[in-house]
Amino acid sequence: MSKLQEIKANVEAGKTKVVPGLVQEALDEGLGAKDILAAMVEAMGVVGDKFSAGEIFVPEMLIAGKAMQKGVEVLEPVLAGDSSSIIGKCIIGTVAGDLHDIGKNLVALMIGSAGFEMIDLGVDVPAEKFVETIKANPDVNVVALSALLSTTMPSMRDTVKAIRDSGLTGFKIIVGGAPITQEFADEIGADAYARDAGGAAIKVKELVS
Amino acid sequence: MLTKRQNLLETIRGGNPDRFVNQYEAFGLIIGDPVSANAGPMPAPGGEPVVNGWGVTISWPAHVPGPFPVHDEKHKVLKDITQWEKIVKAPSLEAPEEAWADVKARAAQIDRNEQFLTVFGAPGIFEQLHYLMGIDDTLINFYEEPEAMHELIEYITEYKLGYAKILCEQLKPDCLFHHDDWGSNINSFLSPDMFAEFLMPAYKKLYGFYREQGVELIVHHSDSYAANLVPHMIEMGIDIWQGVTTTNNTPELIKKYGGQISFMGDIDSATVDRADWTPELVAREVERACRSCGKLYFIPNTSQGLPMSTFPGVYEAVSKEIDRMSKEMF
Repeated sequence: MSKLQEIKANVEAGKTKVVPGLVQEALDEGLGAKDILAAMVEAMGVVGDKFSAGEIFVPEMLIAGKAMQKGVEVLEPVLAGDSSSIIGKCIIGTVAGDLHDIGKNLVALMIGSAGFEMIDLGVDVPAEKFVETIKANPDVNVVALSALLSTTMPSMRDTVKAIRDSGLTGFKIIVGGAPITQEFADEIGADAYARDAGGAAIKVKELVS
Repeated sequence: MLTKRQNLLETIRGGNPDRFVNQYEAFGLIIGDPVSANAGPMPAPGGEPVVNGWGVTISWPAHVPGPFPVHDEKHKVLKDITQWEKIVKAPSLEAPEEAWADVKARAAQIDRNEQFLTVFGAPGIFEQLHYLMGIDDTLINFYEEPEAMHELIEYITEYKLGYAKILCEQLKPDCLFHHDDWGSNINSFLSPDMFAEFLMPAYKKLYGFYREQGVELIVHHSDSYAANLVPHMIEMGIDIWQGVTTTNNTPELIKKYGGQISFMGDIDSATVDRADWTPELVAREVERACRSCGKLYFIPNTSQGLPMSTFPGVYEAVSKEIDRMSKEMF
């Protein structure tokens, strides 16, 4: 097994204590930081697919994300100042009135692992906060909105409307969460919908390509 | 005509019910007692957040179905699981005897021929971990700090067993209705193996204890996907899984496990309990659930974990449609 394959396998398996050492060894052997990062991104893609297929569960996804994060920390000094591996910027949050964070966190993890710089606004985020953050980040590519409750779907609708009414452009809006459907996403004027975290990462990459 | 209690037993035992059990009608719920008050208070819907007896800050935003813990850095109770013994303090189980007078009077009002005197428990063991640590830390700690998680689960279970002993002594309940959400809409949070390792022993102990005290029915609420956990539910002694959502394919579960466990729900609150609900929507969903799930091992009900709805009129409309289906199908 090559070093990159070994890193990929250990990220997939969520080996948080093993991955940093492997990444360092790979750098010491002369492998490129971007190639190592690409291997980890690929590993998280596999993790997302397995999660979507119901083969693995939330803890496995979180621990794989943490393993990748530990690997990225080793790469950071090498990659410092080189933003070519960042493929976009994403603002994410759970809409106003909704305190649920797990779905939003998983989506943030997967989109971040796919190479996006993430701005996580947390839960119960007012529409104005989304608008302010978009204004402060004119290079944003994607705004991701989460809602877990059917009762906060109107809040998601209001948030999309507020963002559209602000006149700000240059980014796409993706929505998701337990009660959200493609039909609802279309109805409220979102650009995309994802059923789960793995699907969200794939969709967001499509949106910026 | 069978009493509500008899009709429920006929339904879950594969006998001859004379109508559908209509949502929570067979349960005489007793919520609130002097010991659970030590673990309170709960926030009012739309009111200010409150700090409960475990130190957890709970918020209940307006127009949402229930309360939820606040887990920003400032409010998270347990930031390092290895320090749980120093940080986590269960609420007191003490309460003066005279404080039980009111709840005992309420219990005495319940006609036990008609209903099961039902005591209530929430949050469950998994939810208590979530309340203390936040969901991400909880789920990661199953991998990273399994020993500490086992210890904390045991501590929470011991607290719940202490509470169970007092409740059973004071009220002699017929039924336990216990909440613990074990999944999202599309999957369980934990794999069945991880669930078996961490939560199953605790629940076997807890539900087994209630059973030993003479509790006849164990009803567990999880309004989520949890079809993959049903064998474990059976093993831990659950009689009725309340809150089963349509994502579980309830008719298939009934075929596979009917006789070992019964299913209460299959009418998703997310579908019917909404601001723009209509009687037609409710009628369609209730009819679909009743016809596809059938008369045995099934209790039609919204997935909501209490006899209520978020939007006025929905619970009553569902009940009315269940009565209609009873007339058509029985």
